[in-house]
Amino acid sequence: MVSQHGILLAVAIISDHFGPLVSKVCRCLLRHGALPLQEIVRRLELSPGQVKNSLLVLIQHNCVQAFNAPRGNGDKTVTHYLAIFDNIVHRQRFSKFLSIIRADIPESEALLEGLLQNGRLTFGQLVERTISKVPEGSITPAREEIRMNFNKLVFAHYVERCPKPEPFFDPLVDEQSTSSRKRAPKTVEIALSIDKKVVNTAALSDAERFSEIPYIMEDASNANDSPRSSISGAKRKHNALEGDAELDSTIAENEVLWRANFEKFTFCLKKKFCADRKKPKLKVGTHPIWEAFFEASLMERDNNSVTSPINGIMERLGQKEGGTSMTLDHITRVLEELNCSPSSEDPDSFILDLSRIVEASRNEEIESLVRKKYGQEAFTIFRLLVRERGPVETDKIIDTTILDKQIVHGTLYKLWKDDYIDTERILSGTGTGNTQYFVWRVKNTFREQFIDNLCHAALNLRQMVNYIAELLLEGSKDDTKLRNRKNILILALTRHDDSLMLFQDF
Amino acid sequence: MPPRKRPPPPAKAPEAPPETKPKISPPAKPIAAAPPPPKAVLSDTVLAALSQHERPIYKLVFAGGDKGMSQTEIRIKTGMPTSTLTKHLRGLTSKGVLKVVNSVHKRAEKIYMDVRIDPSPEITGGTWYRNGQLDSDAVASARRRCLDQIDKLGVATAESIHEGISRECSNLAYSTEQVRDILRTMALDREVEEVRSTGAGEFGDLRAGRVCYRRGGPVQGGMMERIPCGVCPRIDECSPDGVISPSTCVYYKKWLQMDF
Repeated sequence: MVSQHGILLAVAIISDHFGPLVSKVCRCLLRHGALPLQEIVRRLELSPGQVKNSLLVLIQHNCVQAFNAPRGNGDKTVTHYLAIFDNIVHRQRFSKFLSIIRADIPESEALLEGLLQNGRLTFGQLVERTISKVPEGSITPAREEIRMNFNKLVFAHYVERCPKPEPFFDPLVDEQSTSSRKRAPKTVEIALSIDKKVVNTAALSDAERFSEIPYIMEDASNANDSPRSSISGAKRKHNALEGDAELDSTIAENEVLWRANFEKFTFCLKKKFCADRKKPKLKVGTHPIWEAFFEASLMERDNNSVTSPINGIMERLGQKEGGTSMTLDHITRVLEELNCSPSSEDPDSFILDLSRIVEASRNEEIESLVRKKYGQEAFTIFRLLVRERGPVETDKIIDTTILDKQIVHGTLYKLWKDDYIDTERILSGTGTGNTQYFVWRVKNTFREQFIDNLCHAALNLRQMVNYIAELLLEGSKDDTKLRNRKNILILALTRHDDSLMLFQDF
Repeated sequence: MPPRKRPPPPAKAPEAPPETKPKISPPAKPIAAAPPPPKAVLSDTVLAALSQHERPIYKLVFAGGDKGMSQTEIRIKTGMPTSTLTKHLRGLTSKGVLKVVNSVHKRAEKIYMDVRIDPSPEITGGTWYRNGQLDSDAVASARRRCLDQIDKLGVATAESIHEGISRECSNLAYSTEQVRDILRTMALDREVEEVRSTGAGEFGDLRAGRVCYRRGGPVQGGMMERIPCGVCPRIDECSPDGVISPSTCVYYKKWLQMDF
């Protein structure tokens, strides 16, 4: 499932963040799948204490999910530990996640930073951290203010309650009867990997996952000041309600663990990517409508589409230059030209399927690389093979592309040698002798190969950043040049990660 | 299960080319190919002048029509020895009954054809071939004219582009099918974009569902093509601690220097 260089990339990230010992355990889990503690100890020849501490670190940072699996035929169960590749690679995107919060809910950025740095925290721990981080001389924020900012994150689904610590999961049972919720659409038969099944089993229901911390009822003397207070009833009833709410709040504050919801951040980046990707192709007058559509999007129901009400779009347009002069008919027509169709559930909303943009962007990236690497003729031939999907005969390639025969032969050979395309010889027997054809098609695994190359490049960029950081530590006369090079590499790594997300997460 | 062996690489110039050319659809319709005369009439007149050995050869070649027949195929079907067949074919050619045509796809093959029949585009390669060679200038010129029409019209169908070219350059004899071929190639090159009309907006003049062409946008590649790893010929041998590694990479050094 995870490519070879993907594993190396994940191990490099863990090694940079947590040290070599934790990365050893992580590598073992990534290479061999879910393992019990004793098996990890046996394979790595480390002490049980070392492995246990490493696993605790990985679990704390949401890189490993534990689950109980049956042992043999008896009723006994043993705890297995499963590395979650996606969550590991997300670690190099934390700065992007913070940028999203800075733009959406800037007052909650410090809270998210705490969760990203520490993996999972209770609300109480988060409050203590926030207070301790306040620079001296500044006003210490009130607990209620922190709670309000935190609940904004939960309401927007940026933060979620942690999944079950050790759910029961039997890999041999295909029915997933223990799964509390399925994320994949039921109509789509996707063969879920064991990793996905474990994650689904551990996941909480949406209502539980995003339930906020309840507010404490104010005292009678302050009832009028609180916006959530209602008219006080009998004192006895009031005290009873206050007691229950206080108990729930205490539990939510001190026992429930919270963490960042990577799915939400990934979807935000996906929307931003699709919006930015299509923008250069738009006509000048349609930019504001395109932007307004994405800004007005509602809470998403699935990860493949964006839905925006027409009223929200018009409201956003009113704040943009030239937006007030646009009529409803004009906006509607432009949205339809941009492949935003009226939603079947809500006639007043427009829905856009992101899958087509993602698919087109993926093809463009690979085709563009083929052009850079092999030239324009290879670009043309490769696009023809991608579009045809099936085998294409040599002569048909020559005729369709109107290219010289020798150029076509040479190009096909280069693409074939580097595993972009496959060839097959077909013998056609006739009465007058044998005729043989060569047919060509894109290699089935060229996308997996491309993803592995993406991980390989990301790994190399990380290694170069670390290499230059070491040179800087040694103290060189060319500090300025080295720092410039390091910045170039970090910027390249950040942009390269967009491609990695495009192929792995979107 | 042992891994399947990789098929041998295709030879650029195969020593034993396929004996019969595969049948593929011609890229353009033949331009007013002369219909073959009635077989009976032809047989009576021409066959009478041929020797008894030449007669079956001529019948075979004639049966091939505008696709002709290769020498190897004739030999197999008639069963004649090569030297005898060569002698008879040379005689038929000198008498002006048959002619030799070269196929653009298999230049080593000699194809014989009745002199009065024009070869099919499958043999000659169609409009874009001249004397068996691809006429790059003609192709480039056609593409330029198509692009000019698209720039004028904004969004255009193959028919309207063909109409515009015919109006401006009446001496050119492009057919609509040829224009469509050129446009399809330009779409593959991303020079133009192939879209379907929605019947509204900029497609207001076009019926919904028709295939249209407009100026294509630039291809947006990722970071892979801008860092050394993306186009590196040694990427498969690169490893963090190997002889080839990012720390020792000459491409990385060159890339980072260039930015100063």
